[in-house]
Amino acid sequence: MRRRERGASEQTALQRVGLLAALVAFVLPLVLQPDGLDAAGHRMLGVFLAAIVLWVTEAIPLHATAVAIIGAEILLISDAAVLPVPGGFEAPPFADFYAALANPVLMLFLGGFFLAEGAAKYSLDRNLARVLLKPFGTSPRGIMLGLMLITAVLSMFMSNTATTATMTAVVLSVTATLPPGDRLRTGLALSIPIAANVGGIATPVGTPPNAIALGGLAEAGITITFLEWMLATLPFMLLTLAAAWVLLGRLHRSPTKSISLSIEGKFETSRPALIFYVTFIVTVGLWLTEPLHGVNSQVVGFFPVVVLLATRVFGVPEIQNVRWDVLWLVGGGIALATGMSAAGVDAWIVGLVEWEVLPTAGLLVVLALIALGLSTTISNSATANLLVPIGLTMAMSDAVAVNPLLAGIIIAVGCSLAMALPISTPPNAIAYATGAVTTRHLAVAGLAVGAIGLVLFLGVAPLLWDLLGIAGM
Amino acid sequence: MTPRLAILCLEDEPPVRDAIVRDLEPFAPTVVVETAESADDARAALEELRATGDHVALVLADHLLPGETGVEFLVELHHDPDLAGARKVLVTGQAGLEDTIEAVNRAKLDHYIAKPWAPEQLRSVVRDLLTDFVAEHVDDVLPYVQVLDGGRLLAVHAKRAGDR
Repeated sequence: MRRRERGASEQTALQRVGLLAALVAFVLPLVLQPDGLDAAGHRMLGVFLAAIVLWVTEAIPLHATAVAIIGAEILLISDAAVLPVPGGFEAPPFADFYAALANPVLMLFLGGFFLAEGAAKYSLDRNLARVLLKPFGTSPRGIMLGLMLITAVLSMFMSNTATTATMTAVVLSVTATLPPGDRLRTGLALSIPIAANVGGIATPVGTPPNAIALGGLAEAGITITFLEWMLATLPFMLLTLAAAWVLLGRLHRSPTKSISLSIEGKFETSRPALIFYVTFIVTVGLWLTEPLHGVNSQVVGFFPVVVLLATRVFGVPEIQNVRWDVLWLVGGGIALATGMSAAGVDAWIVGLVEWEVLPTAGLLVVLALIALGLSTTISNSATANLLVPIGLTMAMSDAVAVNPLLAGIIIAVGCSLAMALPISTPPNAIAYATGAVTTRHLAVAGLAVGAIGLVLFLGVAPLLWDLLGIAGM
Repeated sequence: MTPRLAILCLEDEPPVRDAIVRDLEPFAPTVVVETAESADDARAALEELRATGDHVALVLADHLLPGETGVEFLVELHHDPDLAGARKVLVTGQAGLEDTIEAVNRAKLDHYIAKPWAPEQLRSVVRDLLTDFVAEHVDDVLPYVQVLDGGRLLAVHAKRAGDR
């Protein structure tokens, strides 16, 4: 026994109900055979409905649902289907569904994981935090601003969760010295997850929903460069962050005038560490300069993987540390989009609604609100997996005049802005675990930051994007 | 429900037992202290703890007890596969060199606290050892961040948890 694994016996009632409901959801379309869909459509609609139930109830782990989707698609609608689809359906090769697990977007993310792994291995994150925090002085407001900026920047390249855990450890060393009842404790503990959630918005590798949106867009033949994504999102990410900083200062006023924050450590200068630093700088540099050299960021993403393994800076342990579950969760979403599109289920669902009655802007608001609402209680990635195929198909349908790129970004942003509950995101759970933050604190700050972010991204961002020619409206 | 961390305190003198329990009160309710006055009594307590699903994380044992000695009990415990991760501490004033060597070599003793102890010292040792236990043997470390070494547990969490 190394770690105590949760046994199947500890399945909750919700999970048992979830499994049963998923089975019913899968069978229902096969029995009812709704009009407008062919046999493949009925099968794929069953898979989609079952996926919704499983991702919402987490009756089985999120990544298990993802691989189950791929398995089901191969068995039901591919050219290797056990019971071939009748009626002249052009079944996609089963290899296409497996290919979702090596989709270029996943390779981009894999590159991001390698950089994050190295940053943690060589304490680059802590050391950057140590150096970058110095100019922010000793006033609580200054330190909070510094912490939030550093957290946001780190979470653009590392997972929001790992960033929050690392930076919250820094905060704990400060709050331990504060007098009991000082509200600065709450403010600081809250500032980290908020900054990490918001920061993840600003690069394609920042958080899985971004990858899912990119993957869905690529399936539809729409591409956006790393730099364009950053130009489109970074300014509004920073504005949202600034608003959150002001808000937290108001909500959690403290009489403390000065705090000292000491992060110990120094930059590693071993040969592997130096190779890693160079690889990191080159990779990020290539991502940001795509217009100059024209090499796709998804191609660049494999660069750190090859270099770090070839130079033996990373070995088998680091390969094993890669969050394959997260990659496969994204891959499952991409496979779901592929299957729904092949069987015409996405278009059929979009056709159920009279979109013409809603103004264009209204559609984006609805998408963003559904993304925000759903991912407040369920996984951000699962939300994106379910919404991206529908949202993009809707945007591309004849009845609607919404730029699909806009729709994709808005869904991803909506997922990241959901942070009103401890369970909304793993970073929130960390803040909650410190004991300095209550559900009420999170609800107030999380709802406010989510609303501010939404207004900025829906109300102001499209104007800038228009100006810059991003999302070419 | 989050499983609690259980500390088994094996000590035959009631005032000493009470002192240990009192010194460890700040760890409640995440940590629960079970007491026993003999090895047999301790085995019964372990049986009960097994049934609750709590993690048996730490055993604090006196050496000189009626019947089996504390060191003998710890050696036996060390070979129980269910308790392989539990940390073992001798809290005693009467263990001789040979007994102590036995405890280190055959029970893989984690710490030796000499009586009388300072409460702050006891808490610091317990906090460290419980943090070790959680880092190695518990999947979800977050429920223990507040009461144990939060910085260390968050570093563990950063390695294990991802965005979802």
